[in-house]
Amino acid sequence: MLIETMPERTGHLEPANLPACERQTLPGVISQRACLLYGARWMLAAIRDAVHLIHGPVGCAYYSQTVRQKNYKVFSTGLGEKEIIFGGGQKLEEAIREAVSLYPRSSAVLVYTTCAAGLIGEDVEAICKQAAAALGLPVVPVNCPGFGGVSQGNGHDVAAAALLEHFIGRGSAGTPLENSVNILGEFDVQGDLKEIEQLLQRLGLNIICAVSGRATVKNLARAHRARLNIVHCGRTGRWLARRMEERFGIPWQKVSFFGLDATAAALQAIAAFFNRPEAAAWVEKEAEATRQRALPYLGRLAGKRVALFFGASRMGSMAGAFRELGMEVVLCGSQFGCQEDYTESRRCLGRGTPLIDDAHQRELEEFWHRYRPDLLVGGTRERFVAHKMGIPFLVFPQETSPYAGFNGFVHLAREAAALVGAPVWRLSNNELLREEGEEKMAEYVRYVERGKKENGRSSL
Amino acid sequence: MQLKEIPIAGIPYDQIKIAKVPATPEYCERPAELIPSTSRSVVINPNRTCMPLGAMWAVLGVKKAVPFVQGAQGCTTYVRYTFSRIFKEPAVIATASFHEDAAVFGGRRNLVEGIRNLVVRYWPELIGVVTTCSSEIIGDDMVSFIKMARANLRKEIGAKKADQIPIVLVNTPSFAGSHVEGYDRASRAFVETLATTRGEPNGKVNIIPGLLYPGDIREIKHLLRHMGIEAIVLFDISDTLDAPLEPPTSVPYWAPGGTEVEEIKDMANSLATFALQPHAGQAGARYLERKYGVRAVVGPPPVGVQGTDAFLKALREITGKPIPRSLLEERGRLVDSLADTLHHTMMKKVAVMGDPDIVLGVTRFVLEMGMEPVALAGGTASKTFVHDVEAILAEAGYEGEPPLIINGGDLFEFEEYLKKQSRLDLIIGNSRAVDISRELQVPLVRVGFPIYDRFGYQKRPIVGYRGGEMLLAEIVNSMLDYQYPDDRTQQL
Repeated sequence: MLIETMPERTGHLEPANLPACERQTLPGVISQRACLLYGARWMLAAIRDAVHLIHGPVGCAYYSQTVRQKNYKVFSTGLGEKEIIFGGGQKLEEAIREAVSLYPRSSAVLVYTTCAAGLIGEDVEAICKQAAAALGLPVVPVNCPGFGGVSQGNGHDVAAAALLEHFIGRGSAGTPLENSVNILGEFDVQGDLKEIEQLLQRLGLNIICAVSGRATVKNLARAHRARLNIVHCGRTGRWLARRMEERFGIPWQKVSFFGLDATAAALQAIAAFFNRPEAAAWVEKEAEATRQRALPYLGRLAGKRVALFFGASRMGSMAGAFRELGMEVVLCGSQFGCQEDYTESRRCLGRGTPLIDDAHQRELEEFWHRYRPDLLVGGTRERFVAHKMGIPFLVFPQETSPYAGFNGFVHLAREAAALVGAPVWRLSNNELLREEGEEKMAEYVRYVERGKKENGRSSL
Repeated sequence: MQLKEIPIAGIPYDQIKIAKVPATPEYCERPAELIPSTSRSVVINPNRTCMPLGAMWAVLGVKKAVPFVQGAQGCTTYVRYTFSRIFKEPAVIATASFHEDAAVFGGRRNLVEGIRNLVVRYWPELIGVVTTCSSEIIGDDMVSFIKMARANLRKEIGAKKADQIPIVLVNTPSFAGSHVEGYDRASRAFVETLATTRGEPNGKVNIIPGLLYPGDIREIKHLLRHMGIEAIVLFDISDTLDAPLEPPTSVPYWAPGGTEVEEIKDMANSLATFALQPHAGQAGARYLERKYGVRAVVGPPPVGVQGTDAFLKALREITGKPIPRSLLEERGRLVDSLADTLHHTMMKKVAVMGDPDIVLGVTRFVLEMGMEPVALAGGTASKTFVHDVEAILAEAGYEGEPPLIINGGDLFEFEEYLKKQSRLDLIIGNSRAVDISRELQVPLVRVGFPIYDRFGYQKRPIVGYRGGEMLLAEIVNSMLDYQYPDDRTQQL
């Protein structure tokens, strides 16, 4: 047993095998998971030339305005009590019309369904069809009420389905474009995409469309003419890649640009696909040069322990990257991984590193307490708890500079070193406070024991 | 108004401004009839969020309390993310984790099991149950669900322990209002559930601060301390959402501070209740007045000289304690700062956006600086907002062009109106106005909820005299940064 937790959760914490996954979150926990709408927005927000209309109360639109640390323009039907009771179909129709007339340059409308709109049971699809006919541009329903599915991962699926059905390959049938690729599941966080693009350009390749990172309605319409689909994030890209293979015959490769070996392997695989191994002659040399560039930071990181908690399909390659930094990966977890992701991560991690699915805050705290890693990696919501426990925290998806590609690796090394070596952790452990701290710790141990005795079960 | 020159070394008033170039080609013409938000259905970039957020904010101000959100996971995640970004603190909020089955069969299982799971793992001292769109639409009978949850808890952990944890229900269907109303409803739900007995008078005053940041609440406590007044601050987030980093100690993590349950129970025995923000907190104050005769003092927000004056005067009247010299000195310093910066603020055109109470407070303060408001946008529609703004303008003897007052509109309307202005010097508002500020090439002074793109604003007060000084400095400095040629800035 890794830590004490609720009996329902034991299968989700796996020291050697694959954790149970894609199950509903237990009620009453401080879940790190989000909803379908969040997943769909995360995936579709990057389509800049479309109107994003959130069909629901304004709150959902308000939160969808900033995704991936970027500001977007959002539209909402702003459902009120009246519409909840009498239906909001008419309001939706009007809203679509008005949005398009206020932003005449938009080339599509995406209508997201929220909990409220889903529950009052409106025929959003029919309204969209009608509006599309009347306005002469695609009006696409994205059926993502928050209560659907088990996590935001299902929202990614819904978004991918909408992309496939309404955007990809809508243009001319067209012939394949030479030397062209799509990137699926790349979110262009802090310029990751630019790093990747530069590397691909050195192989002589062009990106037609980075689905969910930098896409336009026009580019998506040409996306089916690519020679190869590169899947960067499996959870969001794999499904779409498979369907595109079926429908348009585009082969796909799952690669990662996080970490030196992963990046080098990715570039070589892509070069091999395009039958140009000579184009990738520089890759090994570049990787070595990058390692040299990262060297000054590695002294601080060698032998340090790191724990990861983020999207499952990034876990394997990020774990690899941290190993290349000389760190030991002691714990891996994800909010919304699927079986395939965990299998892949397990292969990269080997047996012995615990894999956790859908860990909630209480479990994470317990883990961090038990394993005492020197660095934690995860999302903003976990970050501040870690700080309160006196543990350095690296936010991923990152907040400062790109981590993808060779330059990204150096950024990662620098930031990890900066965090681990920051004087604040020494200051927070000041001797002025230590005595009191020990007393508190002892109190905590007593508390756990008491809970066991009194309730016949763990109080955790 | 006729002045062409202002006293700054002879630079003509309309020449100090650096030429503005639109940042993007978004300056295209729009159908004029669709610009006011009242004449269209679509909301573009809303200026308010949903009710549950306000209620969760409130619950997090109570000691060792956990909000339990009866809804889908996103309702919790988005808010936790928002709070984390604003306060740079963990926000412990539990979710009932609605899935399709709950949407079909109702959320009873989620609540009963959820409360149990929450209690046995966290042992909170209070649970605030917050409803959402979904639970309200499917018609969850929350009162009876909570009874069931309590009965279930008694079976499992014993009656004594189970009854120690109060459960407060706040009904917040998010389609019916904004976060401001959510906080308002929470203020009433808490006193209604907990402050149930009128006993011995305790000689204290109740303060319901509204959606104010930890820095603001600290400043209010500072004023009270100098007045020598004991107070119960309901929803005191000053420590819970601004906690110190100390040696790693216990699991689960609990932030220090917060209003204690015993204090809330005692609120019916206080001298008076101050709802510092009329829109957020009035309901609780009015309830205590109606039910127990605890006098309600609603607003004005203690921002700027007159706002703080009014607060201190009301405190003096109710407690009979004099306003000490130390606070008068603080007042004097703020007034001195106003005089020192007069030539930079006089007749500058300003637009204010945000929650209605913040807009009201800040408007009064910018009028004290001699600025001219061109647009005042309150995100939450209210019956009194327009009237309040007009009263403030009249009180200040404002004679300029009447400003556009947006009562519950969106940011699109605000922006389109500002684009048509011949002159605008400053926007005061929250982080949502960043794009507008960039587009129009005018500085943005960040005030109100939410501010997620700058550090320290949640710790810096805007209320009280000292808060006023800080806000004034911020306003003047950002205008200097933007609007004056470098070689002129030494003339401050």
